[in-house]
Amino acid sequence: MDFRFTEEQELLVESLREFMSREVTEEDIKTFYQEGAVSEKFSKAFIEAGFGFLGIPEEYGGTPADVTTLMLVGEELTRQSAAVFPFMSNILNMFDMVEFGRPDQIMTMMEIYKQTGKPAFSLAISEPQGGSDNSAMTTVATHKNGKVYLNGAKTWVTHGNVAPWTLVVCKEESPELTNKNMSMYLFAADTPGVKFSQLHKIGQTSTTFCEMYLDNVEIDESALLGEKDKGFLQLMKNFEVERLLIASQSLGLAKAAMDDAAAYASERIQFGKPIGNQQMIQQMLTDMEIKIKNMHNLLYEATWRHDNGLPIKLESALVKRYCGMTATEVCSDAIQIFGGLGYTTETRVSRAWQDARGWQIAGGTDQIMVHIAGREVLKKYKK
Amino acid sequence: MNIISCFKVVPDEQDITIKPNRDISFEKAPMTISAYDLNCIEAGAQLAEAFEGNLIGVSIGAKKIDDSKLKKNVLSRGPESILMVADDFLEDLDTYQTANALKAAIQKVGEFDLILCGEGSADLYAQQVGAQLGQLLNVPVINSVNKIALMEGKVIVERSLEDEVETIEIPLPAVISVTSDINLPRIPSMKQILAAGKKSATILSALDVGIGDFGATLQVIETKAPEQKERKKDIIQGDSDEAIKSFITKINKVLK
Repeated sequence: MDFRFTEEQELLVESLREFMSREVTEEDIKTFYQEGAVSEKFSKAFIEAGFGFLGIPEEYGGTPADVTTLMLVGEELTRQSAAVFPFMSNILNMFDMVEFGRPDQIMTMMEIYKQTGKPAFSLAISEPQGGSDNSAMTTVATHKNGKVYLNGAKTWVTHGNVAPWTLVVCKEESPELTNKNMSMYLFAADTPGVKFSQLHKIGQTSTTFCEMYLDNVEIDESALLGEKDKGFLQLMKNFEVERLLIASQSLGLAKAAMDDAAAYASERIQFGKPIGNQQMIQQMLTDMEIKIKNMHNLLYEATWRHDNGLPIKLESALVKRYCGMTATEVCSDAIQIFGGLGYTTETRVSRAWQDARGWQIAGGTDQIMVHIAGREVLKKYKK
Repeated sequence: MNIISCFKVVPDEQDITIKPNRDISFEKAPMTISAYDLNCIEAGAQLAEAFEGNLIGVSIGAKKIDDSKLKKNVLSRGPESILMVADDFLEDLDTYQTANALKAAIQKVGEFDLILCGEGSADLYAQQVGAQLGQLLNVPVINSVNKIALMEGKVIVERSLEDEVETIEIPLPAVISVTSDINLPRIPSMKQILAAGKKSATILSALDVGIGDFGATLQVIETKAPEQKERKKDIIQGDSDEAIKSFITKINKVLK
């Protein structure tokens, strides 16, 4: 069994390390987190170095990359910085656009993305009463005189208040629970009737998210993205890759926390010797390492499956649940090793812990992953 | 316009470890491009791109320099192709032997307009190979160049000396050693990394280029890391004249 990555993947990770050491400092990252946004300079640098185009088809200026490569980038970006940046979710949003958009819609979005490296559009799915339960969604599109009118409220809309466009998933004509017909509409975020209200997170604050109100928003029928009535089904296609991408960033945070905590354990002297010589610290480090290896193996086995055309419905849910929960545990232990210092904002481990916690909710909670995996496990072992 | 960037393959210094007996261990260190030669390759790539020239990377060394990942690494940084002479007796050469081996390799490349070298190697940093290569090829040679302007049949280069900038015109062909501040080497993108695998790399033996065993002129007896000393932890507090005097006395004592 060969656990090695390809030479191309290793070289890309080396490039990413060099890029990070040149383009961003810990001070910059702290500023991004305080200001709620990654700088224009860093966003642009990421896109200009080509990382932001990975996996996007060449006809739109992208570079071919398999899912394993994409995850390596997600992991390394997070590990080097001990922070979460919007870059990977930007790429994922562009996947949806390229997959379902018309050429004119794709070109408009790609142009904005290429120019700024920032998200061209936000993705509005969740609602106050319809989070994991998307059938409870009540935002509705009604069609009158050749126009579409949107009404409803969305929440947890990442970059809603900063992206120039928004992609809204809504029901067609009726908010009824039984209505399964959902569509996606792409329109300018400053269209009359669209309002945002920012929400305040405890972690991952280099990106914003907000509530979004749609009050009789009039848009053209041409704003439809992809097939009418099939909106949610279309989006679901990339949910599995999204779970892996989140897991890769959970893994990156855990590795960053380990990098710092293990180094600190060798340096911090108490009772005349490094605390790393104490068995209780060694036990924590050992269990952290086991968890990191498990996360790594689980993630890259799933990406290997995906890149070899095998289904990952079960695996993507297992990976998302395990990596989400475990990264928080590893980061928490890293804080413990740092002691009082770990509980301050002076270390990267405290930020990693706050950020890791968010990945247990975003992109499907730990519990929803059980809902997905549980049924698959029963099916798998049915006699 | 044929441009050649010479590069040395060295153990990656990040992974060089020190054994308890202070021996330097290369066991865990993969082979990589000597850091100063990244600037030389970048300088070649920029000139080749600007003048639609052809850039070739040339290296000599032991058989282990013929490393698939290393070749892709070089080729992702601009060169259209690589030529390597890889033979185990081409290790631990002195600078003149290295220059001779490079000359033999370059003669296989054929016509050239400009040969670029880094300012020194990341392991030995003797800074001799560029100058000796120019002499062996019987072409003009200059080192410490931090700016190159390429023109028809000549280059105008700049060297930043202690208190002046020297501008020199040199007829081509020529050998130029560039400093590490001539440019910031590119960070290869996925596109460039993927393209590298499709470019050509020619690996020749010493026999192929007509050189035999040079015979060792150097014998490395041992390479040791400096001895680590326990810190004295002798702390002088305050800024009184007496404290400063005591500090100076102690420093003087140690320096003598």
